[in-house]
Amino acid sequence: MTYKRGSAVIPAGKLLALGFTLAVLLIFSITVFAAPKRVATAKPGNCAACHGQEKVFSPSHVDTKEMAYKDCLGCHEKTGPQKLQGKLPGSHLHRLRDINCEKCHGKAKKAGEVKMKQCLTCHDADKLAEKTAKVKPENPHTSPHYGTSLDCNLCHHQHQKSENYCNQCHKYDFTVP
Amino acid sequence: MKDDTEEKGGLTRRGFLKSTGGAAAVAGMTVGGLAVGTGEAAAATGPMPKKWNETYDVVVIGSGFAGLAAAIEAKNAGASAVVIEKMAVHGGNSIINGGDFCAPGTKLQKEAGVQDSPDLMYNDMMKAGLYLNHPELARTVADQAKDALEWCENYIGAKFTRLNFHGGHSVKRANQTANASGSEVVNKMLGKARALGIEVQTRTKMVRFIANKDGRIVGIEVRTGYKFPDEKSGKTAYIKARKAVILTSGGFSEDLKLRQIEDPRLTDKFGTTNQPGATGEALLAACMAGAMDVQMDWIQLGPWTSPDEKGFGHVPLFCERLVGYGPMIDPVKGKRFFKETGNRKERADAIILLGHPVIIMGDSYSVPKQVFPRALEKGLESGAVKKFDTLEALAKNYNIPLSALQQEIARWNSFVEKKKDDDFDCMIFKDARPTAAPPFYAARLWPKVHHTMGGLVIDKNAQVFGLDFKPLKGLYAAGEVTGGVHGAVRLGGVAMADCLVFGRIAGKNAAKEKSWG
Repeated sequence: MTYKRGSAVIPAGKLLALGFTLAVLLIFSITVFAAPKRVATAKPGNCAACHGQEKVFSPSHVDTKEMAYKDCLGCHEKTGPQKLQGKLPGSHLHRLRDINCEKCHGKAKKAGEVKMKQCLTCHDADKLAEKTAKVKPENPHTSPHYGTSLDCNLCHHQHQKSENYCNQCHKYDFTVP
Repeated sequence: MKDDTEEKGGLTRRGFLKSTGGAAAVAGMTVGGLAVGTGEAAAATGPMPKKWNETYDVVVIGSGFAGLAAAIEAKNAGASAVVIEKMAVHGGNSIINGGDFCAPGTKLQKEAGVQDSPDLMYNDMMKAGLYLNHPELARTVADQAKDALEWCENYIGAKFTRLNFHGGHSVKRANQTANASGSEVVNKMLGKARALGIEVQTRTKMVRFIANKDGRIVGIEVRTGYKFPDEKSGKTAYIKARKAVILTSGGFSEDLKLRQIEDPRLTDKFGTTNQPGATGEALLAACMAGAMDVQMDWIQLGPWTSPDEKGFGHVPLFCERLVGYGPMIDPVKGKRFFKETGNRKERADAIILLGHPVIIMGDSYSVPKQVFPRALEKGLESGAVKKFDTLEALAKNYNIPLSALQQEIARWNSFVEKKKDDDFDCMIFKDARPTAAPPFYAARLWPKVHHTMGGLVIDKNAQVFGLDFKPLKGLYAAGEVTGGVHGAVRLGGVAMADCLVFGRIAGKNAAKEKSWG
C-alpha cells in the first residue's frame, strides 16, 4: 500500500520508518531536554546543574562553570555585537548578577507570578526611559500610547524568550534582554 | 452601490442575512435562528452559572474610548461598574488612534474663523455615508459631539490644541489632541475611571453573553488570565451584570475570517491599521444572544497608508495634512488621478483601481507648515517619507515620466493660484501655495483595512436591538462594534465623536436600568 502526496509516492514502509524516527526524536527530546530544573542554589555559570546534558552552548564555547558575570564580559562586551542581552533569558542575566530567585519571587515555597511592582523596586520606569531615550528608531521604554506604564513582562520574559511587544503594530529592530 | 438582489429560492441574499442576523447567520445560524423562532434566547446563550464570581451593576466589555466613557458615566450615575479587556493592555485601537475629534462649533474652530454647525456635520456624514446612515444615530453624533469634546476637555482633562481637515468634510472640524494621539483621551479617562474606583481588568476575555429565560442579558462568561491569541489560556469565571452589559469591543478589521465573509476582496493581501485584538468574536457573541447586525460588509480602507511601513505608521499623518495643499500623483502616468480631498472610500477605491501605489507630495512651504514635526521626522527616518532637492530627483526615485510630472505640477499650481481645481474639484485651502519650493517631500500610498462601519443595531439610547426588532434587554453597545452611524463611509475624526457620544449615552442609560436580581 502506498500513500500519495502531490506527485511523490511514498511506500508505506518508509512512512512507518519516518514516523518511528520522529517518535524516537520526540521522546528523546522530552526526556533528555526536558524543561530546565531551576535549581535555586546552582551557580549561575553551571549550566548542567539545571540543563543536564542539554548542549546550551556551541562546542567551542569556554567552560563557564566557575565564571561570574564580570568574566562573561571579557568576551561579551555590553555594547558590542557579542553582548549577552537578547542572547540569554532575563533570569540568567539576573542570576549572573546575584539576583537570586527569592529576590523576585519572595520566600514562597512555590514561585508564583512576579508583578510589575516587583520589577520597579529595582528598575525605575522613568529612569529606564531616560536611559534608552536615544535608542533608534524609538525609545522602547516610553510611547505616545502608554507612556512608561506598560508591564515589563509584555517584553521581558524571565524564563522564556523575551519578545518585542511593539512589533505587534510597528517594525522596530530592538534587542530585548 | 452594488445591489445583490439575485433571487435564491425566494430569498434575496440581503433579505436572508437581515432576517437571520448577518454574520450570525454564517457563524451560528441554527443558534440565532432558533432563538428567534422559539423566543428562547437562553438556549442561544447557554446555561445560567451556578455561581457568579463577581457582581456589578454595569459590566463594560472593552477599554477604548467608548468603554471608558461608558464606565465613567455609569459610575457617575450611581452604578457600580467594571471594565474588562481581553488584551494585556488597555485602550484597544483608541490608544493608537490619531487623536482627531470632529465636532462642530468648537473653540478651535472659532479661533480659526471656521463657520460650522451640527447640521453641516450631519449632512457631511450622510453624504459620505451614501445616505445609508441611520439618520437618528448620525444626528445624535453631530448634535452631541461638541458637548462630548468639552466633557473630554473640562471633565477628563484632555487637551486639544490644533484644528485639522479630513477628506469628505466641508470644513476643518477635527480637533486634535495635544499629542496627536487618542492616548491623550484614553489615558486620562483611565486615570479618571480609576479615581472613581472603576477597575479595568485586562487579560479578561468575554466568551458568551448569559441571558435569563426571558432573553434578558444578565451577565457574561469570561476567561481571566487570558493570553491573546491563545484561546485555551485563562480560567472560566462568571460576571453578573445587575443592570446591563455594555459592549464596546470595537471593530473586526483584524478578523480575516469574518471580514472576508463580509467583503471577500479583503484577503490577507491587505494589511490593517488596527491592533491585533480587533477581531469580531464579541460582536458575534451578541448576535448569538439575539442581537441584530447591520451593514457588516461596509469595511473601510484607509487611502493614506503606506506600503513602506507597518500598520498605521507615520504616512497617514503626512498625507492627511497635505491634501488640499499638495497633489496626489499616479507615478505611472505622472498625472493626478483623483480628488485629494475626497472621502476615504472614494480615494481608496481610486488607488485600488489603478492597481499600484501612488504618491502624495508637498514642498518646503506646505510640509513644515502642515505636518506634525514628529510624524515627518519619523517618516523620514524610516524611509516611508522621502525628501528630494529637485523635482527631477523625485521623478527619478519613483520612476515617474519627468515631463508629464512637470506639466502636471504646473497645472496643479495654476489651480492653487486661483483656488479652484478644474480637473477633480479638490478643495484648495486659502493658505495653500503652489508646490514649487524645494526641497520636495513625498510618500507612497496603498490602502489598508481601517474601520468596520457595520455592527450591532442600536437606537439613539445605545440600546441594542434584537432580531425581533425589540430592545434586547440588558444589552447596550457603543463605538465601532455598532453599525448605522456612518453608513457606507466613516469620515475621518468621526470615530472619536461616535465613541465618546454613544459611550456616554450607553453608560448613563445602563445605570438607569432596573436591577434584575
